[in-house]
Amino acid sequence: MSRLRPSHQNKREFRFKEWMDGSVDPYLGNLEMKPQQLTEETKEQFDERIQDYVRLNAELYDTEKNKGVRMFRILYRISSVIWIALLIGVMLLTVSHLPPNGDPDNPVNNEVSKRYIEQGLQETGAVNIVTGMILDYRAFDTFGESNVLFIATVTVLILLRKNQKMHNEKDMKEDQDDEKYEPQSDTILKTVAKVLVPVIFVFGLYVILNGHLGPGGGFSGGAIMGAGLILYCITFGFEKTERFFTEKTYKWISFTALSVYCLSKAYSFYTGANGLHSHIPLGTPGAILSSGLIFVLNICVGMVVTITMYTFYAMFRKGDF
Amino acid sequence: MIRTIIAAAFIIFGLLLFAVEIYGVNRFSFIMNRMHAAAIGDTLAMMSCMAGLIIYSGFNFTSLKLLLVVVFLCFSSPVSSHLIMNLEVETNEKANTHYEEETLTDEDDRLDDEEA
Amino acid sequence: MDIINYILLGILLICAISVSFSKNLLNSIIIYMAFSLIMSIIWTILESPDLAITEAAVGAGVTSLLFFVTLKRIRAVKGDEENE
Repeated sequence: MSRLRPSHQNKREFRFKEWMDGSVDPYLGNLEMKPQQLTEETKEQFDERIQDYVRLNAELYDTEKNKGVRMFRILYRISSVIWIALLIGVMLLTVSHLPPNGDPDNPVNNEVSKRYIEQGLQETGAVNIVTGMILDYRAFDTFGESNVLFIATVTVLILLRKNQKMHNEKDMKEDQDDEKYEPQSDTILKTVAKVLVPVIFVFGLYVILNGHLGPGGGFSGGAIMGAGLILYCITFGFEKTERFFTEKTYKWISFTALSVYCLSKAYSFYTGANGLHSHIPLGTPGAILSSGLIFVLNICVGMVVTITMYTFYAMFRKGDF
Repeated sequence: MIRTIIAAAFIIFGLLLFAVEIYGVNRFSFIMNRMHAAAIGDTLAMMSCMAGLIIYSGFNFTSLKLLLVVVFLCFSSPVSSHLIMNLEVETNEKANTHYEEETLTDEDDRLDDEEA
Repeated sequence: MDIINYILLGILLICAISVSFSKNLLNSIIIYMAFSLIMSIIWTILESPDLAITEAAVGAGVTSLLFFVTLKRIRAVKGDEENE
């Protein structure tokens, strides 16, 4: 069959592209396949099946006759209680062996945390030591966390995204019924949301951009901004949010944020591993434009968290962006 | 010293209002009365506590943030109460047994026109 | 300060137990929100405001909202109303 096609269509790349696009079914003609047929069940068959099921259930859980089930149930309960008591005992034993809280001789207070506390400001330039730790000393860890968020979103997309072809009339009707309970036409909510949503966004931006100076950072600020987006979406409906947040926006923001994070940290890992001098200025501690890469990384993490929150909501609520 | 006393007075007033709120929420049986009690706690008691904290901390950046919290709650909590009430009226079919819906008559319309 | 800590930990325990024992799923979510808020207060007392902000925003805000949406999707809230 393949000889009949033009030569460029025979190439592996073209066939791979066809397979990716889904325009050609590779099994068609090569594998014997029958189309699936819907089997209509008559009412008698259905009743019989249900009766079988009910009878089986009744026989199985009839504790009067079935001694095995009863014994198993009693044993199950007793063994679960014993097992949980054992677990609690092990955990309490472990807790009793822990060193006391706040003791200076604890094994936690070793040279690593001392280095973080004493040299953190000079080495990272961040006034907030926690941010200096999670985005400079342990930036690889935070990169993993951002990727975990991304993977979680992708999983939710795979599981909950609605297929437009399968969208039948029954679902449409259910969606319309759902919209009845949405407070979209509420004037008071709309008026207040017009005032509150910008305030929430500005506060979230403040938390993100102020991450190296005070408490906050990418994760918390991103969660606040995501909550603001969700409030906007609840108030004004999906038509308004679709104007600026679509699948494309999600794709590009997550791609840019993660790759900027990856590349900038790759640069500092490269310079650090080879003993080179890093060309990124740390700035004066306490200024808003300081602490080198931490500022950029905070923005990246905040972006990823924001769009993750909103995409979760949109997927759970509508099954589409 | 005097500032501490004023702040303490505000905070204690707020805590008393919270106590009233919790008592009311548990005491009333109908949802609208309970919501009314809860809304008092959300707005007045919270504002009073925050005012006490602002007076206690003096005039600095922290008190500005606390003022923002007050403004935010001022906007958000009445709206949330309103939405819950709205949903209750719309979805609960037995709500009519607890309150009588006000039916507008011609007399009321005339009075409204005159007021306007 | 110790007394406040113990009170908060006690409320935390009560919340954690009553989440699993409450019959209504909606009640469980609201108790879970209370759990998150108390947890954020405890983080503040332990001098980690970063975690406190994140806990309040994620635990009490977004997570419970997602739980509510899920309950609505699986028609768990509506079913309770019909049973009453």
